[in-house]
Amino acid sequence: MKKIIALFLIVTFASSSCEKDDICDANTPTTPRLVIDFYNVSNASVKKNVTNLKVIGDGMTEGIVFNPGASGEDQYLANGSSISIPLKTDSNSTKYSFILNSGNTNPTLIDTDEVTFNYTKEDVFVSRACGFKTLFTFVPNNPIFHTAVPVTKGKWMQVISVEKSNIDNENETHIKVFF
Amino acid sequence: MKHTLKYFFSFCLLIVQFLAQAQETTVTKTTPEKKKSESKIPETPKPVTVKTDTIVPVKKDTIVPVKKDRYGLRVGVDLYRLTRGLYDENYKGIELVGDYRLTKNYYLAAEIGSEDKTTEDDRLNTTTKGTYLKVGFDYNAYENWLDMENIISIGLRGGVSTFSQELNSYKIYNANPYWGEMPWKDSGETFSGLTAGWIEVVAGVKVKVYNNIFVGFSLRMNTLIYDKKPSDDFENLYIPGFNRTYAGNFGAGFNYTVTYFIPLYKKTIKPKEKVKG
Repeated sequence: MKKIIALFLIVTFASSSCEKDDICDANTPTTPRLVIDFYNVSNASVKKNVTNLKVIGDGMTEGIVFNPGASGEDQYLANGSSISIPLKTDSNSTKYSFILNSGNTNPTLIDTDEVTFNYTKEDVFVSRACGFKTLFTFVPNNPIFHTAVPVTKGKWMQVISVEKSNIDNENETHIKVFF
Repeated sequence: MKHTLKYFFSFCLLIVQFLAQAQETTVTKTTPEKKKSESKIPETPKPVTVKTDTIVPVKKDTIVPVKKDRYGLRVGVDLYRLTRGLYDENYKGIELVGDYRLTKNYYLAAEIGSEDKTTEDDRLNTTTKGTYLKVGFDYNAYENWLDMENIISIGLRGGVSTFSQELNSYKIYNANPYWGEMPWKDSGETFSGLTAGWIEVVAGVKVKVYNNIFVGFSLRMNTLIYDKKPSDDFENLYIPGFNRTYAGNFGAGFNYTVTYFIPLYKKTIKPKEKVKG
């Protein structure tokens, strides 16, 4: 009989010690990033790779890390045809500087465009471990405000098109940029 | 946990006492010695009976091998829920427990309670308030010696709860905190009229500590049968009586009870004839 009681106690202690359990799984879809694909302006169906594109948020000193494995300035430079950038979850607009050919020794080749994304946001419950996520919807009028820096210089992004106005996952392209 | 140990030790001491008592009675069981002892017994227990009146019927039972089981209602309170409010500011609760002896080994059992619990998760802070009722039975698997009335039981309960859940505050999960970690957001959204139903498997112990007072504890494994969710994309994070909900539909709980037994009638136990044959 003592064994039974001992067993009860063990189970009681065991069950009281497993309060903290779940950790948010990295594969759980949480707050999505904005997915931007780059296309060739002269052939709209062909993807085009950017060269040393650095993206810096307005008011930030460091760019978005595109290559976590790289060191130094290289980790901020994107060279593919698609990038994903996080939007602000506490504001209805996010402003980024897109710097093409960043770090190039010839300053005339460096092109900077500033793009502001305007959206509404909604907080959606995910799970106990993950909490909430924020989903975004582009505003119907003027979802994108686009300028070159300096303004006198031409914009390197010739056309920015909103493909998907609901940003609720990262598996689809939300914005297409033609250059 | 201090309570657990206290009861555990007192329970162990009781077991030791029972063992000692058990050894005394085995001698009187054999018939040839019984005749001898019959003549001796009236002499020896008499001084004992003078001291305390309550022992009189008990001693009579040992002489005449007629054993009587007491039937009645046992009511009490869960000390764990009652005292938790003293040290846990996020919890207020009470649970009343009761059982009624139906047959030798079966007890009709019920718990009714009320809880007010604030759950602090890593990214969620919710307050759940509500009441619950559990009804079922206990089966006493413990063979008592003489007039002992201890219980080691397994049982089953069906539980229902009505409650409300308030989302106090939450955090946004962002795998890419480029713009920095966002602070907690206040919500205050309340979801009321929520209900849930579940089944519990109960393993419990009750020990008579003094006259009709029993202490006990029980361990419960719960399976949620249904619950009305606050909304399509929100869920019940705590259900009164059921406890915290885990992934899947499982939960666990326990209680420490102090109960008072109200005896209503007695039933004579038929002596076992198997011994002779």
